[in-house]
Parts: sequence; structure tokens; C-alpha cells
Amino acid sequence: MSLFQRKDTLPVPPLDAERYTTVCQYCSAGCGYNVYVWPEKKSGTARSNAFHVDLSKQAQLMSGFSYTETMHNVITRKNGHKYNLAIIPAKESRINKGDYSIRGGTNAQTAYTPTGHTRDRLKDPLLRKENGFVAISWDHAVEILATLTKSSMDKYGSDSIAMKFYDHGSSGLGFEDNWGAGKLFLSGIKTHYLSIHNRPAYNSEVWGSRERGMHELNYDVDDARLADTVVLWGANAYEGATVFYTEHIMPNLQGGSIDEKKKEFASGEPAEEGRIIIIDPRKNATTTVSQDISAERVLHLRPNLGTDWILANALARIAWENKWYDSDYLQKRTDMATFEEYKSKSLELARPLDAFLADAEKITGVTRKEMEEAAAWIAKPKEGGFKRRTLTLYEKGIIWNMKNYDQVAAIAQLNVLTHNVGRVGTGCGRLGGHQEGYVRPGAPTPGSIYAGGPPKNVDNYITGGGGKLYWVGATDPYLSTPNSKFFKKSVKKRAADLLDYLDNGGIPSDPKAYIAKVLEAFEKTDGLFMVVQDIYMTHTAEDAMLILPAAGWGEAVDTSINCHSRLLRIYDKFLDAPGEALPDWKILALVGNKIKALYEAEGNKEMAERFSGMDWKTDADVFEAGSHEFGDNKATEAEEARLSAECYKGVTHKMLRKLGNEGIQTPVRQDPVTGKLVGTKRRYKYSFASKDGLFKWYGTDAWTGYPAEVAKYINNPAYPFWFTTGRSQHVWQTMYNDKRIPEKLLTLPLPYLEIHPDDAVNLDLKTGDMAEVFNEEGSCLALVYVNDATKPGLVFGLMYHAKGTMNNLISSYTDPKTTIPWYKGTKVGVKKYTGKLDDAIKTVSLLSNNNVTIQ
Amino acid sequence: MSDLSRRKFLQTTSATALLFFTGLNKDGHAAPVKAYPSRKIGNIKNLKVNEPLTFNYPDESSPCVLVKVDNQAVGGVGTEKDVVAFSTLCTHMGCPLTYNKGRLVCKCHYSMFDVSRNGQTYQGLASQWVAQVVLRVDAATGNIYAEGVEGLIYGRIGNLKIS
Ligand code: SF4
Ligand code: FES
Repeated sequence: MSLFQRKDTLPVPPLDAERYTTVCQYCSAGCGYNVYVWPEKKSGTARSNAFHVDLSKQAQLMSGFSYTETMHNVITRKNGHKYNLAIIPAKESRINKGDYSIRGGTNAQTAYTPTGHTRDRLKDPLLRKENGFVAISWDHAVEILATLTKSSMDKYGSDSIAMKFYDHGSSGLGFEDNWGAGKLFLSGIKTHYLSIHNRPAYNSEVWGSRERGMHELNYDVDDARLADTVVLWGANAYEGATVFYTEHIMPNLQGGSIDEKKKEFASGEPAEEGRIIIIDPRKNATTTVSQDISAERVLHLRPNLGTDWILANALARIAWENKWYDSDYLQKRTDMATFEEYKSKSLELARPLDAFLADAEKITGVTRKEMEEAAAWIAKPKEGGFKRRTLTLYEKGIIWNMKNYDQVAAIAQLNVLTHNVGRVGTGCGRLGGHQEGYVRPGAPTPGSIYAGGPPKNVDNYITGGGGKLYWVGATDPYLSTPNSKFFKKSVKKRAADLLDYLDNGGIPSDPKAYIAKVLEAFEKTDGLFMVVQDIYMTHTAEDAMLILPAAGWGEAVDTSINCHSRLLRIYDKFLDAPGEALPDWKILALVGNKIKALYEAEGNKEMAERFSGMDWKTDADVFEAGSHEFGDNKATEAEEARLSAECYKGVTHKMLRKLGNEGIQTPVRQDPVTGKLVGTKRRYKYSFASKDGLFKWYGTDAWTGYPAEVAKYINNPAYPFWFTTGRSQHVWQTMYNDKRIPEKLLTLPLPYLEIHPDDAVNLDLKTGDMAEVFNEEGSCLALVYVNDATKPGLVFGLMYHAKGTMNNLISSYTDPKTTIPWYKGTKVGVKKYTGKLDDAIKTVSLLSNNNVTIQ
Repeated sequence: MSDLSRRKFLQTTSATALLFFTGLNKDGHAAPVKAYPSRKIGNIKNLKVNEPLTFNYPDESSPCVLVKVDNQAVGGVGTEKDVVAFSTLCTHMGCPLTYNKGRLVCKCHYSMFDVSRNGQTYQGLASQWVAQVVLRVDAATGNIYAEGVEGLIYGRIGNLKIS
């Protein structure tokens, strides 16, 4: 009867089971987990077990201990023996308190097993031969890659090597791997053609805030429970950072944190149930769940796509007019010279308020009344004159919006204007997607157009015929890059050109002969040698020449921080990587050290030196080596702003293992008095992260309409719908794990499209149909859900799915100030698909995921 | 859920519903069960669409719901294959599920399960689909029997391992 194999019992760990602490491999929340491993044949009992929970009784609701079908697996270790594996949410973690989401609840199912869901993990280095990929040894793989890299650099320069690597924590294995990648690509190869996981360039997505002197992770989870108002701006917290919403925002809305507020607030200061402002064109589940809890304390603004910075400036202007700011704070903590520019360009004080707001209404589609209400919820002092406490979190709806730089800057400035940073219950920054763990030598492009940028667009470089060797690490650009169809077509062609040359006369098996032939092909064709380093075969890897098998989460020791508290913890190793797979840092070090040896053999000391410092023996060594990049962290509490947000200098793996789920919050400073390492709970109370400690204002651009890449559709009747994208609650990123887990694939079998009932009627579409979504960039076949999440004239698509990407509909536009794409907006046509419907529709739920209210 | 919001939740949940979740039946004990019993839980002739009946299965501390939906359901019984039954302990953290128009909804963190589609979590936090009760209909009488459970009931290491 069941659509897949179910269990009705679970093995129990004996008292002597191995125990590890880790953190979820997925979202920015970074929920703590405990891991138990024990021999398959051994068992604890209901009353005596390593969980130290009496399992003989029906559990109480919300006990904080959960152990479900999806939290168990059976693994085989390198010794050939089978073991039970249980990965359960940590009750003692202050991040999740035993809570977990549908994504993290399946952590155990992602463990490699030779016969289970993940059996097709990459196990050997693979080289493309005439008939497909063949396994080769690491020695050969490293010799080929190191020699090609070096020879290409020598002949065509460092920029002939292009790279696209993840730079984050959690599933991207944190500080260790990022230091490895940084040493090889930034210190060693020194190419300018670097790019960061999904996107076309090597950049921060929040230079608009950082260049003001404010790093985007400046708050603590506690602030979400302590805020008077939480603003989620283009940030679908319930479906994207789920447990942060359910454990920290939701209790605030429910009034569950009033007692905490009373303790933390000034005496006499009002402490009430929290309010929430959701700024999102969609009525997503974050909105409907919040409304179900308390409709009168939810304000939902639905701006037109691309217009959010105009809205942020309008809210700031309203706050200004009402004097909802603290002059003393502005003068002490912010740069009053640049403030003039902000006043004139962003607040446009020279223009009468009515005219200014009338324009803002027209551009954003948000009414003045809504703006005034939102501004009051953000900034109007509470009874007794106490400053309101507002925590504003933005995410992809802002960073992947049109005009990335100005969007981020406008929101940062609204919050500093209203002193909603550096106080209990405040903060302004990213909700985050994944966790973080960035430590690398300095990047070639330090900042936006205002700070030495913009960085180079690697997609344009590759599609335009640039580069010889393109190294892709743990990312699948065929799905994830904007304008992905064009990208895929171009790379495919260049890969085919190289292969054509190589197999003319046979692809040599001997590494030296192989290398010689590839170098010939570099000379004679425009071919591209693509290397993919990943845990699974990816869409992109199908066109690679060389594939390198990497270790995944739990298969190497990793350290990362979450986004909502910058909480640094250890993600311990409890699994053996499949086959020959190695941690990314080790693969990068093997290649780096080989290049070094090749230069040494030639007597080229200068080049050999560039590749030095990668001779790490253990993951703890890499972690330690990276820490020196942060410089001296001796600082008092009041000096914290000068420390890099992720500074962990002095912290060791050993220390983190001891701290377990408690972790330590970065930036970690060495207290000048006690000499002890101290974490930082909340940032920018005393100063900002600029040279003089003052917040730097910036005058945003005026509204000038849409960029040509999208404007071309505006009066074209073939593409009548505005189109935006996002994620689903169920799956992580490209579904690289999830497409192998039956629960996930059954529930999300196809890319899907949400359309408003008014539009669906006109197109004769109903839920459960399929539709073609198309424009001049690309097209996608999608399952249709008709619901009120979108507005008439706006459709929403799942950003990418194992079976198809909607990023191929997205234009090649990037913000000229930062080279960040506008993933979240373009225009499309939609028509009903009249072919045979996919069989998966017979078993997928067709209920609407934003309808949460019991009728 | 923080202690405070738990308290808030408990205040808004009816006392009768809570009885199910304390692991106690009205005698204060749940009888141990060794194999899935066959238990009559209703009659197909008395079921109306979207009007659920509650029952406990396989033992007194496992609340369940029997319902006729308005379409053919995975694992459904009856001539229209539209009668299904599920555990009503949320597989996320054990809160009570409420049947509402083809779905089971949890008010703790808004997990929602589609009863026509094998109890799949179509929204929310529960990574495990809710456990479905295996049903049999006696053709002659129309009596419906619960005869097994597919999937783990929340809060147990085995559906039949509660003392
Ligand atoms: S909320 Fe995020 S970190 Fe927590 S369990 Fe889910 S995916 Fe993992
Ligand atoms: S207990 Fe959390 S959603 Fe049901």
C-alpha cells in the first residue's frame, strides 16, 4: 500500500554507542544534532540506551526528543562491518531545542550506504574516454590536473584557469575546505576568473551593507524573540530557515517570549507580543502561518518586482518626517558628512513629502497607508518614549533583486537611521540561505564599483570563449546559474570541441601522453577542459573531462557558523567517505602541492612559493592555518567591530569538540585583560566596522525603470506574466540528496509553477495540470498549482529542481555595481501543456502549501 | 518550541485531546500489544465525506482518525477506495493532528499531511510521513477493521513496543 518502504520499529543505541555532535548540513538556522553509531547486531533497551530516554512509554508531545523513521540508517564502514546510524535533533542546542525541519530530519538518510538511496555517490576519480567515464587513480588525476593547470598558466597566464566553487559552511564543508580553495586559487593560481557557487562572479552579495561598515550577520537568535517587530524582507523564513522561524520568531508572535522581554528591556519599557512585517510579492507560507497565529500583528506588503529600495527609502522618509530617530546616536555613531548625501538622494528631502510618497506608491504598488503603518511598526517609539526594537532580515528577495547594491544599502540605512542595530531585540542583516565558514586570502576584487570593483563575470568569460580549464566545485551551474540554457549550450560546445580533438586518433591512456594531447587541443581549438569536484554526478559533470569524488557532510571534520548567531561548532566525522572520495581541502592540497613540486623541479622558486603552505596533515591543521588570516584578535568588547565577522583565531577543533552544541560565537576575541577567548553575541553596539568606526551613508540611485534585458518584454504580449522564483520547504538546493530520498521526490516530483486563480481561468489551467513556461532565454515544463500565493499577473516557479531549472528563464543582467544577478525577476509566457501528464502527478499532493488555516 | 510557547500551546488545546498524548488511557495504563490486532473501528455505510471518526489503535495511547475523502486515496478501501485511516500524532514532535478537508493539520508548527496521498507531508516540518492504518472492509457487513500500521507512530521505537 505504501508508496515506498516504511518502518514500524527502530533500533535503539546501546549505552556504549559512539556519540558525536554535529550541525545540520543544510540551512542557515544550523540546528544542532547528536549522532549515534553502533554495530548493527547490538542493541540498547527501551530503558537503558544511549539516548538516556525511557523509550518504553509513549512519548509526550514536544518533549524535545524525537527519533523518527527518517532519522535512522544502516551504514557500512571501510572495515566492512555494518552499523546503525541515528542522527537526532539536539535538545540542548539553544538554536533548535530539539526542533528540526523536514530537510534536516532526513540527515541520516543522506549517509552513504552501498545499497541504499545514496549508492551512486562518486567513488573514484573519473576521466572521460571515448565511451564515457572510466575510473583512474588519484595519482593520475592529480598529475593530469596539476600539469594542465601549470602548463596553461605558464602559456596563457593565470586567467586561463577559471573557477566556480562554493564558499560556505554546512554542506559546503566550512572553514577547512574554504581555506583549501582559497590557498590554491587565490594565493597559488591567482586567477581573476573566480566565481562563487551559484553566481557568475566572486563577490559579496551584501557589499551594500558591508561598505557602510556593517556586516550582515550582526544579531543573535535571541533578538528574534526579543524584538517588538520582526521584518522579513524577501526572506521566506518558515520555508527557508524553518526552525529559526518556529523556535524564535513564532514564539514571539504567540507572546511566548514576553517574560524574556521583561527581563531584558529597560525598566518600565512596554513588552508585548511581537509583530511581523513581511515584505514579499507572494503570500507564502511564512505569511499565512504568521497570519494564522495573529492576523492583526502581521503586515504584508507586496511590492512590484525590483522596487524594494524605493520602498525602503519611503519608509525611511516617513521615519525622518516623524522624527523617529535619535540625533545623538546618529551623530555619535554615523558619518554626518555622508549623511547629507543620504538625505538628498535617498530621502530626497528637497522634494515635498506628498510628491515623494506618491511616486513611491506608483513605483512599488504599495499604498502610502501601508508604508506609514510599516514605518510606525519599525520605528515609532513605544509608550513612554522607549525606542522600538526592530530586527530586519532580508534574503534572496533582496540580494537577488534588481540593483543588488542599492537594495541592500537602502535597508541597512533604514535600520541605522532608526537605531535598530546593536541593541537587544534589533539587528539588520541576512536571514541566510546556507551556513557560513569563509576564510580565504584576500580576493582580487575587494568590493563593489565604489571599492575597487566590480568583479569579473566568469559566465560571460566562459561563454565568450575565455579560459582553458574550468574547475567547478560542489555546484551545478547548468541548473543554478542565471540564463542557464545559454551557459549550458556554450559549455557543452566547448567541451565537445575538446573531446573531438582528443578522440581523433584515440584518447591516450598514459597520463603524460594525455596531458600532451590536451595541451595541443588548447592550442588548436577553443575547447574547454572542465573539472567537476562533487559528491554525486551532476548535470554539469556530464560535460566534464575529469570528475573528482569529494567527501560529504559527516565524512570529514568540518567547522562552520550558522547565520542567526554566528555560532561556531564542530561537525564531526562519523562516516567513512565512499570509495576513494577525499575531503575537498585534501584534493585541493594534492593538486597545489603537485604544482609546487613541478615548479620546484624547474627551479622556479618564485612560483613554487605561491603554492606553498598547503602541506596540511589533518583537518585540524587546515583550520589552524586559516585562522592566521584573521590577524590579531586581541580586543575588548567595545572593539569587537574591528574583528572580521567569522574570526575564530585561537579556537581549535579540540576546544570545539568539548563545547559541543554550545559552540562559540564569532567574532571570537582574545580578551586583553583575561587572555581568554570570548565570543560575540551581538554586534555594533559601540561602533561600526569602518576605519573611523562610523557608519558610512550612501545616496541610492533614483528609479530608472527596468534593465534592457527585462525591459524588452514589458510591452510584448507574448510574455504577459511577471515571473519570480524561490525555494520549497522540502528540499535543499538542487535536490542532490533529496532526489534520492523517496519521501522528497514523491512530494516534489517536478518543477512547479504557482499561478493566481484569475490567471489560471484565462489559461484553462487547474492544479495538477502541466504548463509550459517560456521566454526568449529558455523554457521549462512545470506542474501547476493554482493558489493565491501570487498576485494576478505574477507567476512563481521553483528556482531549480533535479528535473529542470527555471533559471534558464532568467536574464543575463547583473548589477553593474556588484555583478550580482537578478535571479528573482523577469517576464514569461505561460501555456497549458497538452501532452500526457507525468505519472508522478498521480501520487503527488495537490493541496495548496500556503493554506494553513483550518476551515 | 520554547517553554513559554509550549505553555501557550497547552492553554489552547482541549483537555480531552491532551489525554491521548500523556500516554495514558482512562485506567492510567496502556495495555501492551504484541501483534497488530484486528479491531472494528466503524462501518462503511455510516461514513460521510469529510466527517472523521476517531479511534485508538493499535493500543489506547495511539489516537487515530478514520475518514472518507472525496477522491480515490492511496491505501483507500471501499468501492471508491476513498476510506483511509491515520495516526493523529504529528510525526514532527507529537502534537495532535486535526482532520480538515482532506488533510491532517498540526497547529504546533503547521505540518500538513495529505490523507489521499499516503499521509505525505506536503507542507511543514515533519520529515516522516504520518503513519497510515491498514484497513479491511467486510463485504457482507460493511464493517471496517484496522489491521496494521504502515510507518512509525510518533514517540515510539516500535508501534507495538509500548508497555
Ligand atoms: S531548519 Fe535548517 S538547520 Fe534546522 S534542521 Fe532544518 S534545514 Fe537543518
Ligand atoms: S509537532 Fe511540529 S508540526 Fe506537528
